[in-house]
Amino acid sequence: MRRIRTLITKEFLDLARNRTALLPVVIVTVLSLVLPFGIAVGVPAMTGHGLGEDADLLRVSVAVGSGEALSSDARIQLFLFQQFLMLFLLTPITGAMALAAHAIVGEKQARTLEPLLATPITTLELLAAKVFGALIPTLAISLAGLALYFAGILAFALPGVAAAMASARTLMLVVLVAPAAALVSLQSAILISSRANDPRTAQQFGVLIIIPLAGVLVAQFTGSLWLSAAALGLLGLGLLGVWLLLTLLSVAVFDREAILTRWR
Amino acid sequence: MIAATRLTRRFGSRTVVNDITFAVSRSEIVALLGPNGAGKTTTLRMLAGLIAPTSGSVAIDGVQLTKAAGTSLRRRIGFLTEAPGLWDRLTVRENLRIYAGLYDLAHAEQTIDRALEMFELTDCRSARAAELSKGMRQKVALARALLHDPAILLLDEPSSGLDPEVMRMVRRLLEERRAAGCSILVSTHNLDEAERLADRVAVLHERLLAIDRPSALRQRLTTGRLIVRVSGDPSSYIETVRALGPGFTDPAIEGAALILRVADLDRQAPALVAALVAGGARILEVRAEIPALEDVYLHLVGETSEVRSLKSDVQVR
Repeated sequence: MRRIRTLITKEFLDLARNRTALLPVVIVTVLSLVLPFGIAVGVPAMTGHGLGEDADLLRVSVAVGSGEALSSDARIQLFLFQQFLMLFLLTPITGAMALAAHAIVGEKQARTLEPLLATPITTLELLAAKVFGALIPTLAISLAGLALYFAGILAFALPGVAAAMASARTLMLVVLVAPAAALVSLQSAILISSRANDPRTAQQFGVLIIIPLAGVLVAQFTGSLWLSAAALGLLGLGLLGVWLLLTLLSVAVFDREAILTRWR
Repeated sequence: MIAATRLTRRFGSRTVVNDITFAVSRSEIVALLGPNGAGKTTTLRMLAGLIAPTSGSVAIDGVQLTKAAGTSLRRRIGFLTEAPGLWDRLTVRENLRIYAGLYDLAHAEQTIDRALEMFELTDCRSARAAELSKGMRQKVALARALLHDPAILLLDEPSSGLDPEVMRMVRRLLEERRAAGCSILVSTHNLDEAERLADRVAVLHERLLAIDRPSALRQRLTTGRLIVRVSGDPSSYIETVRALGPGFTDPAIEGAALILRVADLDRQAPALVAALVAGGARILEVRAEIPALEDVYLHLVGETSEVRSLKSDVQVR
């Protein structure tokens, strides 16, 4: 564990001196904050038309069946805030992808990998440090964004929306699904980073995780898919299982020799 | 002690290291010499457990270096890689601190302080690695390789980028490590450094061409020529040399010296001196013509290159 902690410390120090690397995470987080409040609070206030006047939105929000006791406007607002919560899933993925993709191939290109591999560090320790070194800071920014999101809901949302948001479903999404999805995505990028000889290749592949997540997001918006708290719990556990499998696969395919002797 | 036995490494159809066997004992420095592409770095990487040999084995203090044993055996090895490999955005101290953590050093901060002092890096401990000169980076990399007090040191081109003053300091340091019982293998192009530093020199060119003490290697190329400087005109002693018999051949004058060739230096040189003194010569100097290590190296490597060239010619035909 000490070696993992040590290498994570190195990743943090490196990031602290290269803050622009975290800029994409901050941008996605800010967008994830601006968009929902702009749509659910700003647009009705500016146009003078309540959200409940949109028949399609009302139909979809009724179909997903949450916030039955709320007014039409509040019900749609709740629906929108719940949907946009999914955007926070994407924050650590998009933001940390460049970091993870760069993890192994970047060390190789900087010629820092060989002395590192000459230490007693195991492959599992090295890869774990790389994953958590990218995940922790991006997750921290994402959680800070979430805290602002909920603070904004408390401050600006219609009565009853904040209370309805505090649900087991939200908890599952924030505590389990978001970190698990990020882990799967980052581990994929690191797996590819240890096989590719160009960080761009790793990044391209790693971002593919966004496709199923975007699919879920769109399906939820159209009301054709509504994941309950239990379903989200299962999804989160499933993602953690996939992450464990990917970790084992990453260790199995990590070829020190090929990295040292064939990459240029 | 680190021992390589019949170590061979191929990359595809290309053999980079071919059947080499040697050992570096405790308290010994061996210099690994060879031209570019001779397999020095590959050999060091195999010895450090970074890449596996295609055949043959490496043993550290009698324990076979396998994939399973590699993690624990790497604790005993300090490896200076060809490139310093410092994290540019981290300071000198932070670079060392991370490695102290990776080696689980108990008193990391004190050890780092000592290393900084030893390499005269204390003043730049807070400088980022990116800001350092090539020589300074090499010093930090050396400090890093020695940080965990390894029993075995593998150094790939340690003098690269170092000025003579720093190189002298490094040499002193390696001598101290040798005195402390460390087994040290140094890959270098610098023949002078090899001669000054190493107890033995190994010449590698895919195969191990020779391994011996520098003086013994030079002896191999000894021409048997004796150079005698006498007071006055040396040409007057040519007849004295000829009178010594058929074992003393080709007497000639080169500049102010009398040159001749003998078959057995140890036996014939005293006889020559005795004859010259008896003939009235006042001898200023008698020395055997010993080739420089560079000549030996070029001779050994040149021979191999010629053989290779012939082989490839035959293959082409």
